[in-house]
Amino acid sequence: MRPAARFAAGFPKTGNRFDSGEAMAAISLSKLNKHYGSLFHAVKDVDLEIADKEFVALVGPSGCGKSTTLRMIAGLEDITSGDIRIGNKVVNHLPPRDRDVAMVFQNYALYQHMSVYDNLAFGLRNKKTPEAEIRTAIDRAAGMLGLHDLLQRKPKQLSGGQQQRVALGRCIVRNPQVFLFDEPLSNLDAKLRAQMRIEIKRLHAEIPTTSVFVTHDQVEAMTLGDRVVIMRDGRIQQIGTPLQVYGKPANKFVAGFIGAPAMNFIDVNVRSAAGVTSVEAEGLRLTIGPADAAALAIHSGRRVIMGMRPEHLSLGAGAPGLGFDAHVEVVEQLGSEILLETRVGNASITAARVPAETAIARGDQVRLSAQAGRLHFFDPETELPIS
Amino acid sequence: MAMVNRPQFLPWLPPIGRKTLFALAVAFICFAFAFPVLWLILTSLRPESGVYYVHRGTEFTLASFAEVLSDERIVAAFLNSALISTLATVFSLLVTVSSGYMLSRFTGPASRLWFGTIYVFRCVPYISWVLPLYFVTQSWGLYDTYTGLLLPHIAVHICFFSWLMKGFFDGIDPSMEYAAMIDGCTRWGAFIRVAVPSALPAISALAVLCWLFTWNEFLFALILTGNRVPVITVVMAQFVTEMGLRWNLMAATAVMALLPAFLIALFGQKYVIRGLRI
Ligand SMILES: Nc1ncnc2c1ncn2[C@@H]1O[C@H](COP(=O)(O)OP(=O)(O)O)[C@@H](O)[C@H]1O
Ligand SMILES: [Mg+2]
Repeated sequence: MRPAARFAAGFPKTGNRFDSGEAMAAISLSKLNKHYGSLFHAVKDVDLEIADKEFVALVGPSGCGKSTTLRMIAGLEDITSGDIRIGNKVVNHLPPRDRDVAMVFQNYALYQHMSVYDNLAFGLRNKKTPEAEIRTAIDRAAGMLGLHDLLQRKPKQLSGGQQQRVALGRCIVRNPQVFLFDEPLSNLDAKLRAQMRIEIKRLHAEIPTTSVFVTHDQVEAMTLGDRVVIMRDGRIQQIGTPLQVYGKPANKFVAGFIGAPAMNFIDVNVRSAAGVTSVEAEGLRLTIGPADAAALAIHSGRRVIMGMRPEHLSLGAGAPGLGFDAHVEVVEQLGSEILLETRVGNASITAARVPAETAIARGDQVRLSAQAGRLHFFDPETELPIS
Repeated sequence: MAMVNRPQFLPWLPPIGRKTLFALAVAFICFAFAFPVLWLILTSLRPESGVYYVHRGTEFTLASFAEVLSDERIVAAFLNSALISTLATVFSLLVTVSSGYMLSRFTGPASRLWFGTIYVFRCVPYISWVLPLYFVTQSWGLYDTYTGLLLPHIAVHICFFSWLMKGFFDGIDPSMEYAAMIDGCTRWGAFIRVAVPSALPAISALAVLCWLFTWNEFLFALILTGNRVPVITVVMAQFVTEMGLRWNLMAATAVMALLPAFLIALFGQKYVIRGLRI
């Protein structure tokens, strides 16, 4: 893989669609709906604009309708209502083969009875491309992905990572308008997954192509996506850059889904007196800075949900009014840092970024402090942020 | 899987005793199955006078085989059986493969209707098909013709083996076909160019099963054919005459009829089993 990567870095981008100035391939989904049978509403009113050459990551818990959405873009699934446009052309009723998209599947979906070379050539042969051109295209893709030594093998003789690279190659060779990925890294082990993530990122830089990447893993979504789309129960929850969805989650679900370890949620009561706004829970009383105070003040006397990211909690006294005592229940030593599972009153709170060398044990009493301006507040009814 | 503590057979026996008992049981079962075949082979090698005390004689001959092979009717029966088995296999596979695929991949009303239909036919006892088929072939003028035997066989294959084929396709990941459709194939193209080639081991295994089914079939052949289309299973039974039983000839014919199955077991077993397992 290493030599191939070096080779690819200096690879001239000849024969690329973008050199010949072809049409833009933006994708637009509007009011997209999918019903399975008469009862099950899998995708609900999805609106999404994907710019040409943009890499969008579609993330959400399993069963939330990501694959269904992707398969509708590919044309593998009929749409119940709404419109799909690829490059300004409505493709609602076009069969997959006429949409000029390529797709990578979770289980690679290589043609088991064909050699790697024939797998790569399959799409171009269907388009009656001359063999010489096919050879050039395969040579180029094989160079990018380090597949040269594997071309004569059958898929069964390849490891999972190699198979997935062949699947990527099959997409590249066709030079389509759109790349679709359906959890392509889920079947790989953690280390390989991280490698392939970088590989996909590099490929997108070398061959900028509109891409939709479906995953249930928020780390993949955050690291790969120019923008991240978060779905739940068939509905889009938020669309934004990784920083936006991390920093300004659109609701409690997004706040809890993005970020690892997950955000801590604590039920707190708001108290506003003498121009000072504070939130209280059992064993905890934080003074809220001016940024959040205004919005919270109107909730004075009511219960709200406070969110604190584990990485925004630190050990020690910290700023005045932001510290609280916690009882350590679990210590997870990661080598680079320590994760603490603590109990505060009847809430459990996770803290990350505790220096690895800290002497700390189960049962200890520690002082944790939050960072001003890094607290999130949600309305318990609507779960929308209070700001 | 390795360390499951299964309840043991005769736990009070020492391991060596258990192994011995097990070996004996296996040997006995093998013998029980092999014995009739061995007896058949022995009988076929005895002269006509020796067939009633196969276990005692020491005189062996190939005369029965020679006699059988010189009988035009028996040779014709072999050829007919081979021809009908092959044609029935080819034609039924054309349907079985696509119908199994449909049952596996599509859930629409057409698929459900088809499923229901073959389910019903599958449930009807085999023997109760025979009489209606006899009347139908009679009235269509197909009685005692190749077609009149071929068509029922194809129908039976389809009803019996579409299920197996559905099972095979259930075991093949459909995303390969989706990939093909995205790569420029039609639905049908994805079936022909991707699904069928991946199912080829299973299809060959099924072909063997179909072929042997028809080759060994007796009931339809007995009822639906007369003198014009002799097939091997029926001809074999006709050694039972008013004049007596021609055991040696019957055995010789039977041994030859066993040959295809025997050859498959010898050379193709690995492939058949592998095919049935995908
Ligand atoms: N062919 C189908 N028939 C009925 N329900 C389906 C079908 N495919 C998916 N579903 C349901 O639709 C929901 C969304 O599925 P999917 O898009 O595959 O979720 P995911 O986000 O995990 O990719 C799931 O609850 C799933 O059970
Ligand atoms: Mg999915």
